[in-house]
Amino acid sequence: MPHTELDHTADILIRVWGRTLDELFSDAAAAMAAVMFEDRRDGGIERTFSLTADDPEALLHDLLSELLFLSEVEGIVFSDIKARVEGAVVYCTARGETFSPERHRGGTEIKGISYSGLRIINTDEGYQVDIIFDV
Amino acid sequence: MHTGIRKVGNMEWEVPVGYVPGMRVPGRFYLSDDLAGSVEEGAVRQLANVATLPGIVKYSLAMPDIHWGYGFPIGGVAAFDMEHGVISPGGVGFDINCGVRLIATPPTEKDITRKRELIEALFRTIPTGVGAKSTLKLSARDLLDMMDEGASWAVRNGYGHENDLEHCEENGSMKDASSADVSQKARQRGMPQCGTLGSGNHFLELQVVAEVTDERAARAFGIEKGQICCMIHCGSRGLGHQVCTDHLKVLEKATGNYNIQVPDRQLACAPVSSPEGKAYLGAMAAAANYAWANRQMITHNARGVFASFFGLEHEDMPLVYDVAHNVAKIEDHRVDGRSMRLCVHRKGATRAFGPGSRDIPRAYSEEGQPVIIPGSMGSSSYLLKGTATAMEKTFGSTCHGAGRLMSRTQAKKSTRGAEVQKILAKQGIIVRATSQAVIAEEAPEAYKPSSEVVRVVHEAGLSLTVARLEPLGVIKG
Repeated sequence: MPHTELDHTADILIRVWGRTLDELFSDAAAAMAAVMFEDRRDGGIERTFSLTADDPEALLHDLLSELLFLSEVEGIVFSDIKARVEGAVVYCTARGETFSPERHRGGTEIKGISYSGLRIINTDEGYQVDIIFDV
Repeated sequence: MHTGIRKVGNMEWEVPVGYVPGMRVPGRFYLSDDLAGSVEEGAVRQLANVATLPGIVKYSLAMPDIHWGYGFPIGGVAAFDMEHGVISPGGVGFDINCGVRLIATPPTEKDITRKRELIEALFRTIPTGVGAKSTLKLSARDLLDMMDEGASWAVRNGYGHENDLEHCEENGSMKDASSADVSQKARQRGMPQCGTLGSGNHFLELQVVAEVTDERAARAFGIEKGQICCMIHCGSRGLGHQVCTDHLKVLEKATGNYNIQVPDRQLACAPVSSPEGKAYLGAMAAAANYAWANRQMITHNARGVFASFFGLEHEDMPLVYDVAHNVAKIEDHRVDGRSMRLCVHRKGATRAFGPGSRDIPRAYSEEGQPVIIPGSMGSSSYLLKGTATAMEKTFGSTCHGAGRLMSRTQAKKSTRGAEVQKILAKQGIIVRATSQAVIAEEAPEAYKPSSEVVRVVHEAGLSLTVARLEPLGVIKG
């Protein structure tokens, strides 16, 4: 399991691991998708984008915020997200399906990705980060 | 209680300078001895972190519903001077002007003979839950006007009447709004969501006035025992969330440019008077106005349902009041005997201006501002009034709700939505939600008892109870 949920009184706090930054970013995006919707299928919809930021934490924050934006505005439930980090740039390919009121209306709305405690740390196995999602 | 924290008065605790490095003022929070043990160390540290921000005046404060959030603690209040002080999205949160309003209706409990049908009709009429879209098609111009004008845009377009505006904090419209500082992305999110309730802890609840403890104030607010009321809790939807996300990014850079050190990146900030600070304030006010228009449109739709069920006119259902509980505002306060213009942040806290304040409706002036405290699902809600003590001690602020005790994960583990629904049904409370999970997450035992939180603010004098309302039915995301 590349992520686990820790206790946080008001919001949702997720710890994510990855052997590489690419894995960490992809796992963080997968964790967010899992918080939002239980039922996630690949319906053939694909979105690709890239983003630039000043440091890895800001890059991760912006990646997740962009996925939230796309999910809400385009009505996409993401099921498979791949991120590749090259210096200050993240390249993302996100696949999923169209939001279905019957299967997805009871999902969890994430209001934003908090910067509180968002720090990518090196571990023996690679990288780890804790992310607070405001719900 | 955590090391270093000491009791300094009835229900009043102080976090000394030095609790975290760089504190400019002490922290103060309000809590009963019974609840004191429930405060997380993380929440106290967040309270202390706020005290390190430039230009903070008197204290970093927290109300008795204090709990661990991000940036500011939830229940946090802090005021900054206009010259040296800062403004921070971490002191407002993603859900800008999340707030609550109370609508009084003529029926009494015995008139509610078709409760389940009434709740169903409300659930069908008001778009609720993730992905729910407004039935209204807004033009880009409409959205701009809505952000500039707030609730008055809604009233001008037929969603309510003039009296509603007078009964909103800020008359439902912040003058500092600058829609130009709201990004295209935020507008895209806001366009299809106006008039929608959202999900999570947002709700519309049917309530009965179960007890009146202050007859004179209740009369002034237009409330009497046995009467049915409707409480609405929601905010600025995706538009507000995006405003926070966008400006956090700008202010992150500004923090360094103005040589401000912050102990938590979520506390990114800039001087109130700086271009970045002004841009955030303008965008935040525009999002706050969107939230007021949103609550106004939901009110109109709820009134429509009541009107057809009980043969009423919309005018028969006055708005008692509408309060914001996630907002930063420029306000005048007396500090140590002199008048100061301040930027007051309230994050999960409610304005509670006392009697005689020129910022409250004339009809309420002798009593003080109505304060609406929603309970958790299935528990009591309260109507209170603001006080002179709040003006003196907390920049005219009080608590905003019950405050969580249990994380959503814990709540989901310890209880199932269907069970909660059954228990509530036994008490005569009908819950209509888009999922069982949201019912479990919002189970009554996941929160501090609202009665205890209200008792603290009442005894501390930060606001005084006027009436207790009990739930009859609720719709949730």
